[in-house]
Amino acid sequence: MHVMLMYVISHLGLIFFMYPGNVISSTEQGHWLPVLLGVVIHFIFINIYMKGLSYFPKKDIIRIYAGIGKGTAILFIAPVFLYFSMILLITLRAYAEIITIVFLSKTPLWAIMLLLISISTYIAAKGVETIFRTGLLLSLLFLPIIIFIFFTSFQNVDWRYVVPLDADLGFIIKRTYLESFFAFSGGFLFLGFVQPYFSYDRKYILWAAAFLIPFFLFSVYIPVLTFGQATSATTFLPYVVAVDAININWLMFDRVTMFFLLSLISFIMLYLALVSWKAIRILSHYLPSIKPVKLLLALAAAVYIACFFIPDWKDVEKLFWWNTFLRFYILIAIPFSLFFFGRCMKRKGIDESI
Amino acid sequence: MDRFINEIKAELGNNGDFHLQRDYLADAAVMLLGFNTLIDFIKTRTVLHKHAESILLQNQPSEDLWGAIGELMEGDVLKAISSIYEGKLIIHFENTSRFIIMEPVPAMLDRSIDSPTNENVIQGALDSFTEGIDINIGIVRKLVNSDEIRIDSFSAGRSRKNKLSLLYIDGQADIELVNSIRNHIEKNIQMEAYNLQGLAKMLGFPSWNAISKFNTTELPHHAVQNLRKGKVILFVDRLPFALILPSLFWDMFAAENDRNFPLPIMLAIRLIRIIGILITLITPGLYVALVSVNPEVLQIQLALSVAQSREGVPYPALAEIIFMLLILELILEASVRLPKSIGPTITMVGGIILGQAAVEAKLVSNLLIIILAATTIANSTIVGFQNSVSIRLFKYAIVILGAIFGILGLVAGLVFLSAYLASLNTYGKSYLYLNVKGNENNGG
Repeated sequence: MHVMLMYVISHLGLIFFMYPGNVISSTEQGHWLPVLLGVVIHFIFINIYMKGLSYFPKKDIIRIYAGIGKGTAILFIAPVFLYFSMILLITLRAYAEIITIVFLSKTPLWAIMLLLISISTYIAAKGVETIFRTGLLLSLLFLPIIIFIFFTSFQNVDWRYVVPLDADLGFIIKRTYLESFFAFSGGFLFLGFVQPYFSYDRKYILWAAAFLIPFFLFSVYIPVLTFGQATSATTFLPYVVAVDAININWLMFDRVTMFFLLSLISFIMLYLALVSWKAIRILSHYLPSIKPVKLLLALAAAVYIACFFIPDWKDVEKLFWWNTFLRFYILIAIPFSLFFFGRCMKRKGIDESI
Repeated sequence: MDRFINEIKAELGNNGDFHLQRDYLADAAVMLLGFNTLIDFIKTRTVLHKHAESILLQNQPSEDLWGAIGELMEGDVLKAISSIYEGKLIIHFENTSRFIIMEPVPAMLDRSIDSPTNENVIQGALDSFTEGIDINIGIVRKLVNSDEIRIDSFSAGRSRKNKLSLLYIDGQADIELVNSIRNHIEKNIQMEAYNLQGLAKMLGFPSWNAISKFNTTELPHHAVQNLRKGKVILFVDRLPFALILPSLFWDMFAAENDRNFPLPIMLAIRLIRIIGILITLITPGLYVALVSVNPEVLQIQLALSVAQSREGVPYPALAEIIFMLLILELILEASVRLPKSIGPTITMVGGIILGQAAVEAKLVSNLLIIILAATTIANSTIVGFQNSVSIRLFKYAIVILGAIFGILGLVAGLVFLSAYLASLNTYGKSYLYLNVKGNENNGG
């Protein structure tokens, strides 16, 4: 239940910002195909990942890799850690930028980043149970808002923009499409970290992933259906602009976007907390002599300082693109290696028992 | 005068209420010793004599009488003195070192069972706990009426022993919870526990918690329902309420008396309380955020009317709201302090300040008054005074964040608050569990 909710909200936070823009600009028509392809790949990998994990009951992936050998640990754990730090850095910087663009144009960037990082560090410092429970409270508070606005965003839809439906596969090699996997690969790794603390049923995770499909699909299609492909490709955050176009008379607020975005940002804070917690798990496994809280503070400070070396959005995008290679490595290598090692272990176990 | 009496007199003689009386029981000359402020001497003597008479009438030996009226001891002066301090009567046989510790008729120092003073009940039982721990336990026993209730008693403190009792229902209460509470009490039995802070220290709770770990209640029915649900009650002598452990988040919204209403009504009442807590937390912060940072969120007509109501107000929204909230807190605090006969004055004066005068003097905006009123009213819907005080405090964190970051600050404040609530736990029972037997699936 917890794991499922956490899975949903960490993905929701990632879906609505960059993902639609990336997909829309990757192809001119038939956007369902890139989305669907992404979803299918996502499903395949989480399945393999969970299958792999199920060979190692009650163990998180750090201990699994460390148990196999030093070489594997370096080969897999080091990139994962690097990846987490990159995610922290990029997410923090990118979302601070988005917040400035959308509604806090006068507030300096450093203040927003400080707020985001300090809250997520606070949550991370309290441990995984707090993260998950906070997830529950936040979803009680904000999920209704998100779902409400998601439905109202159909207000300006013109269904004729759905056609043409036919699609080609040219988008696969597009840079923006590859970047869009940010939304798929960001969240799933935590399933391998929570094992000793929470147990979960694989079926429920798949249900949660299935629950997300309409969000993936419509986050792309709502801007397209509202403005048409040509216009929405020019906007920076197409879904946000589409929601901005909503006008609800009986609501006293003019910009419902604000509430939508902020609900998502609350999820992002939680996501940042989760990622920093994972990174700290890795660090403290290899540096057991230092207190995890100190490591966490050091990591947060490092990320915060590193953010100042990214002067503008172009550099964020560059970083985003570099991170894409690492992301695919993680997306492919971790699930497969786990699956492979799991199978080996099992076979060995059977051989020995014979 | 023998040695025994002299020793006791040396110890207690400088107490004005120490009473020494000569008497004859059966065939023995005795001395009665005790504090006449704690013991009703006249009644106690009547009882003693009746007792003696009835034993003598049946021609029993007087040794039987001694055994029947109390505990027969020999020589232990210190024990006698501490018993006198505890309010017992000492019957000393002249020219021996033998004495009896007797449970006397106590002087009436406890108030009788009254209706609750801090918690109002509509359509429900009206009795409430009092200061006497034995009376409280008695009330609980009467309501539970089961052979599964367990009562552990402790006396804690260094100089003056204070009685503590731990009540739970065997088979319902989580045995780990009971054991950890018991272990903490036994380990820290030397600590003073007259108030909740002392008790929290004794139980090993961090003292910088903004939310009380104890759910206090005056209502026996509420306490007993919680007991049945597997929680644990602590009674402290001289504190007129039950301390329910662990305190859970849901307790802010659910009072046991709600169940005296039909189910839909009960759900509606609880929904109102949930809305109440949200309004208390959000509206002041939202006001500051909308006025000072993000006015564009509002529809244009509304934004204009907000701006109009603030016309002529000479300082920023944050200063305005903090100023008014402060006055409000002062009024709340003052009305607790003042005697009941002067209390209405404060209400009246406060009403004038918070009503028209401050607005007409262009010191604060109209809208702010409405928001303050809504906040205060909403804050009072929360069950349990100790909870509503905590929520009152959290409101300020959100106001300040809202003033800096606008609506983002508001949301960040809520996230922070959620995380804080989520991180609380009592001996491993999370604050967000819906009931004590919670596991990771049903609670937060």
